[in-house]
Amino acid sequence: MNTNNNVYTVVYTTVVCVLVAAILAFVSQSLKAKQEANEKAENISQILTAAQFGEKSHWSEIGNDATIAFYTENIEAALLVNAKGEICGELEGDNVYSVSDLKKQNYAIRDNAEMALPFYIFKNGTSAIAIYGAGLWGPVWGYIALEGDLKTIAGAYFDHESETPGLGGKIKDDPAFRAQFSGKVVDYADEAAPFAIVKGGAGDKANAIDAITGATMTSKGVDAAINNWLKAYEPAIFAAASCCSGNCEECCGECAEGECTECTECAECETKANEEE
Amino acid sequence: MDKKLKETILNPIFKGNPISVLVLGICSSLAVTVELKGAFVMALSVTIVTGLSSLVCSLIRKSIPNRVRIIIQLVVVALMVILVDQVLKAYAYGIDKQLSVYIGLIITNCIVMGRIEAYALSNKPWPSLLDGLSNGIGYGMILIVVAFFRELLGSGTLFGFRVIPECFYAAGYMNNGLVILPPMALILLGCIIWIQRSIQKDLQEK
Repeated sequence: MNTNNNVYTVVYTTVVCVLVAAILAFVSQSLKAKQEANEKAENISQILTAAQFGEKSHWSEIGNDATIAFYTENIEAALLVNAKGEICGELEGDNVYSVSDLKKQNYAIRDNAEMALPFYIFKNGTSAIAIYGAGLWGPVWGYIALEGDLKTIAGAYFDHESETPGLGGKIKDDPAFRAQFSGKVVDYADEAAPFAIVKGGAGDKANAIDAITGATMTSKGVDAAINNWLKAYEPAIFAAASCCSGNCEECCGECAEGECTECTECAECETKANEEE
Repeated sequence: MDKKLKETILNPIFKGNPISVLVLGICSSLAVTVELKGAFVMALSVTIVTGLSSLVCSLIRKSIPNRVRIIIQLVVVALMVILVDQVLKAYAYGIDKQLSVYIGLIITNCIVMGRIEAYALSNKPWPSLLDGLSNGIGYGMILIVVAFFRELLGSGTLFGFRVIPECFYAAGYMNNGLVILPPMALILLGCIIWIQRSIQKDLQEK
Protein backbone atom coordinates (compact mmCIF):
# COMPACT_ATOMS: atom_id res chain seq x y z
CA MET A 1 0.00 0.00 0.00
CA ASN A 2 1.15 3.53 -0.75
CA THR A 3 1.54 5.17 2.64
CA ASN A 4 2.49 8.50 1.09
CA ASN A 5 -0.94 9.03 -0.39
CA ASN A 6 -2.57 12.28 0.86
CA VAL A 7 -5.88 10.72 1.87
CA TYR A 8 -4.11 7.94 3.72
CA THR A 9 -1.92 10.44 5.60
CA VAL A 10 -4.89 12.52 6.73
CA VAL A 11 -6.96 9.51 7.75
CA TYR A 12 -3.99 7.92 9.54
CA THR A 13 -3.12 10.99 11.60
CA THR A 14 -6.78 11.55 12.49
CA VAL A 15 -7.19 7.97 13.67
CA VAL A 16 -3.99 8.12 15.71
CA CYS A 17 -5.03 11.38 17.36
CA VAL A 18 -8.52 10.17 18.22
CA LEU A 19 -7.15 6.92 19.57
CA VAL A 20 -4.55 8.63 21.74
CA ALA A 21 -7.12 11.14 23.00
CA ALA A 22 -9.46 8.29 23.92
CA ILE A 23 -6.74 6.46 25.85
CA LEU A 24 -5.76 9.61 27.72
CA ALA A 25 -9.35 10.48 28.55
CA PHE A 26 -9.95 6.99 29.86
CA VAL A 27 -6.81 6.94 32.02
CA SER A 28 -7.42 10.45 33.30
CA GLN A 29 -10.98 9.57 34.30
CA SER A 30 -10.07 6.32 36.00
CA LEU A 31 -7.21 7.83 38.02
CA LYS A 32 -8.97 11.09 38.79
CA ALA A 33 -10.47 10.10 42.15
CA LYS A 34 -7.14 8.85 43.44
CA GLN A 35 -5.29 11.94 42.24
CA GLU A 36 -7.78 14.30 43.81
CA ALA A 37 -7.64 12.42 47.09
CA ASN A 38 -3.85 12.73 46.99
CA GLU A 39 -4.01 16.44 46.38
CA LYS A 40 -6.53 17.02 49.12
CA ALA A 41 -4.57 14.96 51.65
CA GLU A 42 -1.44 16.87 50.64
CA ASN A 43 -3.11 20.23 51.29
CA ILE A 44 -4.54 19.02 54.59
CA SER A 45 -1.20 17.61 55.70
CA GLN A 46 0.44 20.97 54.97
CA ILE A 47 -2.10 22.77 57.13
CA LEU A 48 -1.68 20.22 59.92
CA THR A 49 2.10 20.46 59.71
CA ALA A 50 1.94 24.25 59.98
CA ALA A 51 -0.36 23.94 63.00
CA GLN A 52 2.24 21.71 64.69
CA PHE A 53 0.14 18.55 64.83
CA GLY A 54 3.04 16.55 63.45
CA GLU A 55 5.95 16.61 61.04
CA LYS A 56 5.23 16.50 57.32
CA SER A 57 6.64 13.00 56.95
CA HIS A 58 4.25 11.74 59.64
CA TRP A 59 1.24 12.43 57.42
CA SER A 60 2.62 10.58 54.44
CA GLU A 61 3.37 7.65 56.75
CA ILE A 62 -0.16 7.38 58.14
CA GLY A 63 -1.69 7.77 54.69
CA ASN A 64 -4.41 9.87 53.08
CA ASP A 65 -7.44 8.56 54.94
CA ALA A 66 -5.93 8.84 58.41
CA THR A 67 -4.69 12.36 57.65
CA ILE A 68 -8.12 13.52 56.51
CA ALA A 69 -9.75 11.81 59.51
CA PHE A 70 -7.34 13.55 61.89
CA TYR A 71 -8.19 16.87 60.28
CA THR A 72 -11.96 16.45 60.55
CA GLU A 73 -11.59 15.40 64.19
CA ASN A 74 -9.51 18.41 65.16
CA ILE A 75 -10.95 21.20 63.07
CA GLU A 76 -13.33 23.55 64.85
CA ALA A 77 -14.32 25.53 61.77
CA ALA A 78 -12.87 26.32 58.40
CA LEU A 79 -14.20 29.80 57.75
CA LEU A 80 -13.96 31.99 54.69
CA VAL A 81 -13.29 35.63 55.46
CA ASN A 82 -13.29 38.73 53.28
CA ALA A 83 -11.27 41.94 53.26
CA LYS A 84 -13.68 43.63 55.67
CA GLY A 85 -13.10 40.94 58.23
CA GLU A 86 -16.55 39.43 57.82
CA ILE A 87 -17.19 35.73 57.66
CA CYS A 88 -18.53 35.06 54.19
CA GLY A 89 -18.71 31.30 54.12
CA GLU A 90 -17.52 28.06 55.55
CA LEU A 91 -15.75 25.00 54.18
CA GLU A 92 -17.73 21.96 55.25
CA GLY A 93 -16.27 18.70 56.46
CA ASP A 94 -12.86 17.86 55.09
CA ASN A 95 -12.91 20.48 52.36
CA VAL A 96 -9.91 22.76 52.16
CA TYR A 97 -8.72 25.29 49.61
CA SER A 98 -6.61 23.79 46.86
CA VAL A 99 -3.52 25.53 45.55
CA SER A 100 -5.46 26.81 42.54
CA ASP A 101 -8.07 28.25 44.92
CA LEU A 102 -5.28 30.09 46.71
CA LYS A 103 -4.02 31.36 43.38
CA LYS A 104 -7.43 32.83 42.60
CA GLN A 105 -7.53 34.52 45.99
CA ASN A 106 -4.07 35.91 45.36
CA TYR A 107 -5.37 37.63 42.25
CA ALA A 108 -8.30 38.95 44.30
CA ILE A 109 -5.91 40.39 46.88
CA ARG A 110 -3.77 41.96 44.19
CA ASP A 111 -6.76 43.52 42.42
CA ASN A 112 -8.54 44.45 45.63
CA ALA A 113 -11.49 42.40 44.41
CA GLU A 114 -14.03 40.36 46.36
CA MET A 115 -12.16 37.67 48.26
CA ALA A 116 -12.87 34.69 50.46
CA LEU A 117 -9.74 33.69 52.33
CA PRO A 118 -9.60 30.41 54.22
CA PHE A 119 -9.24 30.63 57.99
CA TYR A 120 -8.78 27.25 59.63
CA ILE A 121 -9.55 27.21 63.33
CA PHE A 122 -8.62 24.11 65.31
CA LYS A 123 -10.19 22.86 68.50
CA ASN A 124 -7.01 23.46 70.47
CA GLY A 125 -7.20 27.19 69.75
CA THR A 126 -4.58 27.26 67.00
CA SER A 127 -5.65 28.70 63.71
CA ALA A 128 -4.01 28.58 60.30
CA ILE A 129 -4.02 31.12 57.52
CA ALA A 130 -2.84 30.58 53.97
CA ILE A 131 -0.32 32.53 51.96
CA TYR A 132 0.46 32.52 48.24
CA GLY A 133 2.90 34.47 46.13
CA ALA A 134 5.68 34.38 43.59
CA GLY A 135 9.06 32.80 44.30
CA LEU A 136 11.96 32.90 41.89
CA TRP A 137 10.85 30.35 39.26
CA GLY A 138 7.23 29.81 40.11
CA PRO A 139 4.56 30.18 42.76
CA VAL A 140 5.22 29.62 46.45
CA TRP A 141 2.45 29.03 48.96
CA GLY A 142 2.03 27.82 52.48
CA TYR A 143 0.29 28.12 55.80
CA ILE A 144 1.05 30.09 58.92
CA ALA A 145 -0.42 28.85 62.15
CA LEU A 146 -1.26 31.39 64.84
CA GLU A 147 -1.80 30.68 68.48
CA GLY A 148 -4.94 31.67 70.39
CA ASP A 149 -3.90 35.31 70.68
CA LEU A 150 -3.69 35.48 66.87
CA LYS A 151 -0.33 37.22 67.11
CA THR A 152 2.13 34.55 68.14
CA ILE A 153 3.12 32.20 65.34
CA ALA A 154 2.80 28.55 66.26
CA GLY A 155 4.42 27.22 63.11
CA ALA A 156 4.55 27.44 59.36
CA TYR A 157 4.78 25.27 56.29
CA PHE A 158 5.69 26.25 52.76
CA ASP A 159 5.58 24.61 49.41
CA HIS A 160 6.67 25.65 45.97
CA GLU A 161 6.35 24.58 42.37
CA SER A 162 9.86 24.90 41.02
CA GLU A 163 12.29 26.65 43.34
CA THR A 164 15.92 25.49 43.06
CA PRO A 165 16.36 22.32 45.10
CA GLY A 166 18.88 22.88 47.87
CA LEU A 167 18.53 26.67 47.71
CA GLY A 168 15.06 28.15 47.34
CA GLY A 169 13.67 24.66 47.82
CA LYS A 170 14.75 24.92 51.45
CA ILE A 171 11.57 26.83 52.28
CA LYS A 172 9.97 23.42 52.07
CA ASP A 173 12.78 20.96 52.72
CA ASP A 174 14.74 22.61 55.50
CA PRO A 175 13.04 22.11 58.88
CA ALA A 176 15.42 24.67 60.37
CA PHE A 177 13.97 27.42 58.18
CA ARG A 178 10.42 26.58 59.21
CA ALA A 179 11.34 26.15 62.86
CA GLN A 180 12.38 29.81 63.00
CA PHE A 181 8.74 30.84 62.75
CA SER A 182 7.59 29.20 65.96
CA GLY A 183 7.29 31.72 68.77
CA LYS A 184 7.70 34.79 66.58
CA VAL A 185 5.08 37.52 67.01
CA VAL A 186 3.37 39.29 64.13
CA ASP A 187 3.56 43.04 64.62
CA TYR A 188 0.34 44.37 63.13
CA ALA A 189 1.29 47.91 64.13
CA ASP A 190 4.07 47.84 61.52
CA GLU A 191 2.04 48.70 58.47
CA ALA A 192 4.78 48.19 55.91
CA ALA A 193 5.71 44.71 57.06
CA PRO A 194 3.93 42.96 59.92
CA PHE A 195 6.44 40.17 59.47
CA ALA A 196 9.83 40.13 57.81
CA ILE A 197 12.28 37.64 56.37
CA VAL A 198 15.57 39.44 56.68
CA LYS A 199 18.74 38.94 54.70
CA GLY A 200 21.82 39.09 56.83
CA GLY A 201 20.28 38.10 60.11
CA ALA A 202 17.10 39.00 61.92
CA GLY A 203 18.81 39.25 65.28
CA ASP A 204 16.46 39.41 68.22
CA LYS A 205 13.57 41.02 66.40
CA ALA A 206 10.32 39.37 67.43
CA ASN A 207 8.67 39.69 64.04
CA ALA A 208 11.56 38.70 61.78
CA ILE A 209 13.46 35.59 60.78
CA ASP A 210 16.62 34.91 58.79
CA ALA A 211 16.41 34.56 55.03
CA ILE A 212 17.92 31.57 53.25
CA THR A 213 21.51 31.97 52.11
CA GLY A 214 21.78 31.79 48.34
CA ALA A 215 18.04 32.12 47.86
CA THR A 216 17.43 35.83 48.06
CA MET A 217 14.63 35.95 45.52
CA THR A 218 12.75 33.04 47.03
CA SER A 219 13.10 34.52 50.51
CA LYS A 220 11.82 37.86 49.22
CA GLY A 221 8.94 36.08 47.51
CA VAL A 222 7.90 34.31 50.69
CA ASP A 223 8.28 37.54 52.64
CA ALA A 224 6.03 39.40 50.18
CA ALA A 225 3.50 36.56 50.14
CA ILE A 226 3.29 36.54 53.94
CA ASN A 227 2.90 40.29 54.20
CA ASN A 228 0.38 40.65 51.37
CA TRP A 229 -1.79 37.93 52.79
CA LEU A 230 -1.37 39.00 56.42
CA LYS A 231 -2.59 42.46 55.47
CA ALA A 232 -5.58 40.94 53.69
CA TYR A 233 -6.32 38.81 56.72
CA GLU A 234 -5.79 41.63 59.20
CA PRO A 235 -9.42 42.81 59.49
CA ALA A 236 -10.59 39.27 60.04
CA ILE A 237 -7.86 38.60 62.58
CA PHE A 238 -8.75 41.81 64.43
CA ALA A 239 -12.43 40.90 64.37
CA ALA A 240 -11.71 37.49 65.77
CA ALA A 241 -9.27 38.78 68.36
CA SER A 242 -11.06 41.96 69.41
CA CYS A 243 -13.15 40.56 72.21
CA CYS A 244 -10.46 38.65 73.95
CA SER A 245 -7.31 40.60 73.28
CA GLY A 246 -5.66 43.76 74.45
CA ASN A 247 -5.90 44.72 78.09
CA CYS A 248 -9.07 42.81 78.67
CA GLU A 249 -7.26 39.58 77.86
CA GLU A 250 -6.92 38.28 81.37
CA CYS A 251 -10.32 39.09 82.77
CA CYS A 252 -12.17 38.09 79.65
CA GLY A 253 -14.02 34.84 79.76
CA GLU A 254 -15.57 32.91 76.93
CA CYS A 255 -15.39 34.28 73.46
CA ALA A 256 -18.51 33.43 71.53
CA GLU A 257 -19.59 34.68 68.13
CA GLY A 258 -17.34 37.70 68.26
CA GLU A 259 -18.70 38.84 71.61
CA CYS A 260 -16.97 38.45 74.89
CA THR A 261 -19.56 37.17 77.26
CA GLU A 262 -18.05 38.28 80.51
CA CYS A 263 -16.10 41.33 79.52
CA THR A 264 -18.65 43.88 80.72
CA GLU A 265 -18.60 42.36 84.17
CA CYS A 266 -14.91 42.95 84.48
CA ALA A 267 -14.22 45.99 86.64
CA GLU A 268 -10.75 46.52 85.29
CA CYS A 269 -12.02 46.76 81.75
CA GLU A 270 -14.72 49.23 82.66
CA THR A 271 -12.28 51.45 84.48
CA LYS A 272 -9.99 51.30 81.49
CA ALA A 273 -12.86 52.17 79.14
CA ASN A 274 -13.90 55.06 81.35
CA GLU A 275 -10.38 56.38 81.46
CA GLU A 276 -10.17 56.33 77.71
CA GLU A 277 -13.40 58.29 77.42
CA MET B 1 21.02 -12.92 15.80
CA ASP B 2 21.51 -13.57 19.49
CA LYS B 3 24.82 -11.79 19.40
CA LYS B 4 23.22 -8.82 17.66
CA LEU B 5 20.51 -8.66 20.30
CA LYS B 6 23.10 -8.75 23.05
CA GLU B 7 24.90 -5.92 21.31
CA THR B 8 21.63 -3.96 21.17
CA ILE B 9 21.21 -4.30 24.91
CA LEU B 10 24.80 -3.71 26.01
CA ASN B 11 25.87 -1.00 23.59
CA PRO B 12 23.78 1.87 25.02
CA ILE B 13 24.85 1.06 28.54
CA PHE B 14 28.53 1.70 28.08
CA LYS B 15 30.05 1.91 24.62
CA GLY B 16 27.28 3.98 23.08
CA ASN B 17 25.87 5.58 26.19
CA PRO B 18 23.29 8.21 25.23
CA ILE B 19 24.65 10.81 27.65
CA SER B 20 28.37 10.26 27.84
CA VAL B 21 28.97 9.27 24.22
CA LEU B 22 26.07 10.67 22.20
CA VAL B 23 25.64 13.64 24.59
CA LEU B 24 21.85 13.53 24.36
CA GLY B 25 19.38 14.37 27.11
CA ILE B 26 21.80 16.70 28.88
CA CYS B 27 19.17 19.24 30.01
CA SER B 28 17.23 16.88 32.22
CA SER B 29 20.40 15.29 33.57
CA LEU B 30 21.38 18.72 34.86
CA ALA B 31 17.99 19.47 36.30
CA VAL B 32 16.98 16.38 38.23
CA THR B 33 20.29 15.19 39.64
CA VAL B 34 20.32 17.25 42.83
CA GLU B 35 18.87 14.37 44.81
CA LEU B 36 19.15 10.64 44.27
CA LYS B 37 15.46 9.92 44.79
CA GLY B 38 14.40 12.26 42.02
CA ALA B 39 17.12 10.99 39.71
CA PHE B 40 16.05 7.42 40.36
CA VAL B 41 12.40 8.04 39.52
CA MET B 42 13.40 10.10 36.49
CA ALA B 43 15.64 7.26 35.28
CA LEU B 44 12.82 4.79 35.73
CA SER B 45 10.31 7.03 33.96
CA VAL B 46 12.61 7.67 31.01
CA THR B 47 13.36 3.95 30.71
CA ILE B 48 9.67 3.12 30.60
CA VAL B 49 8.94 5.89 28.12
CA THR B 50 11.79 5.05 25.74
CA GLY B 51 10.99 1.34 25.94
CA LEU B 52 7.27 1.64 25.34
CA SER B 53 7.42 4.33 22.67
CA SER B 54 10.07 2.38 20.77
CA LEU B 55 7.84 -0.69 21.01
CA VAL B 56 4.70 1.09 19.80
CA CYS B 57 6.48 2.94 17.01
CA SER B 58 8.09 -0.28 15.88
CA LEU B 59 4.71 -2.03 15.84
CA ILE B 60 3.19 0.62 13.58
CA ARG B 61 6.39 1.41 11.64
CA LYS B 62 5.14 -0.02 8.36
CA SER B 63 1.89 1.93 8.41
CA ILE B 64 3.31 5.36 9.34
CA PRO B 65 3.19 7.77 6.39
CA ASN B 66 6.75 8.89 5.89
CA ARG B 67 5.93 12.58 5.59
CA VAL B 68 4.31 12.83 9.02
CA ARG B 69 6.41 10.27 10.85
CA ILE B 70 8.00 12.74 13.27
CA ILE B 71 4.59 14.02 14.34
CA ILE B 72 3.27 10.50 14.82
CA GLN B 73 6.33 9.61 16.91
CA LEU B 74 5.81 12.73 18.95
CA VAL B 75 2.19 11.79 19.61
CA VAL B 76 3.22 8.32 20.76
CA VAL B 77 5.96 9.69 23.03
CA ALA B 78 3.62 12.32 24.45
CA LEU B 79 1.04 9.64 25.16
CA MET B 80 3.56 7.56 27.11
CA VAL B 81 4.85 10.55 29.05
CA ILE B 82 1.37 11.67 30.06
CA LEU B 83 0.51 8.12 31.11
CA VAL B 84 3.61 7.93 33.30
CA ASP B 85 2.81 11.35 34.77
CA GLN B 86 -0.80 10.39 35.51
CA VAL B 87 0.17 7.11 37.15
CA LEU B 88 2.81 8.85 39.28
CA LYS B 89 0.27 11.49 40.31
CA ALA B 90 -2.07 8.75 41.47
CA TYR B 91 0.39 6.37 43.12
CA ALA B 92 3.56 8.32 43.91
CA TYR B 93 2.24 11.82 44.50
CA GLY B 94 5.17 13.05 46.57
CA ILE B 95 7.74 12.10 43.98
CA ASP B 96 5.67 13.47 41.14
CA LYS B 97 5.51 16.78 42.98
CA GLN B 98 9.25 16.76 43.46
CA LEU B 99 9.97 16.14 39.76
CA SER B 100 7.25 18.61 38.77
CA VAL B 101 7.71 19.76 35.20
CA TYR B 102 10.58 17.44 34.35
CA ILE B 103 8.34 14.42 33.88
CA GLY B 104 6.41 16.34 31.24
CA LEU B 105 9.68 17.41 29.68
CA ILE B 106 10.68 13.80 28.96
CA ILE B 107 8.82 14.46 25.69
CA THR B 108 11.62 16.76 24.66
CA ASN B 109 14.35 14.34 25.70
CA CYS B 110 16.35 13.73 22.55
CA ILE B 111 17.07 10.13 23.50
CA VAL B 112 13.44 9.07 23.09
CA MET B 113 12.94 10.50 19.61
CA GLY B 114 16.49 9.67 18.66
CA ARG B 115 16.05 5.97 19.36
CA ILE B 116 12.74 5.81 17.55
CA GLU B 117 14.18 7.46 14.45
CA ALA B 118 17.44 5.56 14.51
CA TYR B 119 16.32 2.15 15.61
CA ALA B 120 12.62 1.42 16.16
CA LEU B 121 11.51 2.52 12.69
CA SER B 122 13.73 -0.04 11.01
CA ASN B 123 13.65 -2.93 13.47
CA LYS B 124 11.20 -5.49 14.81
CA PRO B 125 9.21 -4.72 18.00
CA TRP B 126 11.12 -7.00 20.40
CA PRO B 127 14.62 -5.66 19.70
CA SER B 128 13.17 -2.14 19.60
CA LEU B 129 11.72 -2.55 23.07
CA LEU B 130 15.07 -3.81 24.34
CA ASP B 131 16.91 -1.00 22.60
CA GLY B 132 14.60 1.58 24.18
CA LEU B 133 14.87 0.06 27.63
CA SER B 134 18.64 -0.22 27.60
CA ASN B 135 19.03 3.33 26.34
CA GLY B 136 16.86 4.43 29.23
CA ILE B 137 19.04 2.43 31.59
CA GLY B 138 22.20 3.90 30.12
CA TYR B 139 20.76 7.36 30.61
CA GLY B 140 19.59 6.50 34.11
CA MET B 141 22.96 5.13 35.17
CA ILE B 142 24.71 8.40 34.43
CA LEU B 143 21.91 10.29 36.15
CA ILE B 144 22.32 8.23 39.28
CA VAL B 145 26.09 8.56 39.34
CA VAL B 146 25.86 12.34 38.97
CA ALA B 147 23.08 12.54 41.56
CA PHE B 148 25.11 10.43 43.97
CA PHE B 149 27.96 12.95 43.99
CA ARG B 150 25.71 15.98 43.95
CA GLU B 151 23.59 14.85 46.88
CA LEU B 152 26.58 13.60 48.86
CA LEU B 153 28.70 16.72 48.40
CA GLY B 154 25.88 19.24 48.16
CA SER B 155 23.57 18.14 50.94
CA GLY B 156 25.57 15.52 52.83
CA THR B 157 22.75 13.01 52.38
CA LEU B 158 21.97 9.97 50.22
CA PHE B 159 18.34 9.20 49.38
CA GLY B 160 17.54 11.83 52.02
CA PHE B 161 19.43 10.05 54.80
CA ARG B 162 22.30 11.89 56.44
CA VAL B 163 25.59 10.10 55.68
CA ILE B 164 28.10 12.76 56.63
CA PRO B 165 28.16 12.66 60.42
CA GLU B 166 27.37 15.72 62.50
CA CYS B 167 30.86 15.79 63.97
CA PHE B 168 32.24 16.65 60.52
CA TYR B 169 30.09 19.76 60.47
CA ALA B 170 31.11 20.56 64.01
CA ALA B 171 34.74 20.35 62.88
CA GLY B 172 34.10 22.94 60.18
CA TYR B 173 33.05 20.86 57.17
CA MET B 174 30.51 22.58 54.96
CA ASN B 175 28.23 21.33 52.25
CA ASN B 176 29.36 22.53 48.86
CA GLY B 177 26.68 24.92 47.61
CA LEU B 178 28.19 24.96 44.13
CA VAL B 179 27.48 21.26 43.62
CA ILE B 180 23.76 21.94 44.00
CA LEU B 181 23.73 24.32 41.04
CA PRO B 182 23.40 23.00 37.47
CA PRO B 183 26.88 24.06 36.27
CA MET B 184 28.46 21.57 38.63
CA ALA B 185 26.37 18.80 37.07
CA LEU B 186 27.87 19.77 33.75
CA ILE B 187 31.38 19.58 35.21
CA LEU B 188 30.65 16.19 36.79
CA LEU B 189 29.29 15.02 33.46
CA GLY B 190 32.47 16.26 31.82
CA CYS B 191 34.50 14.19 34.28
CA ILE B 192 32.44 11.08 33.46
CA ILE B 193 32.98 11.62 29.74
CA TRP B 194 36.70 12.15 30.39
CA ILE B 195 36.96 8.87 32.31
CA GLN B 196 35.03 6.99 29.65
CA ARG B 197 37.16 8.40 26.84
CA SER B 198 40.38 7.48 28.57
CA ILE B 199 39.13 3.90 28.91
CA GLN B 200 37.61 3.70 25.45
CA LYS B 201 40.46 4.88 23.23
CA ASP B 202 38.48 4.56 19.97
CA LEU B 203 36.30 7.53 21.01
CA GLN B 204 39.27 9.89 21.03
CA GLU B 205 39.57 12.15 18.04
CA LYS B 206 42.98 12.30 16.44
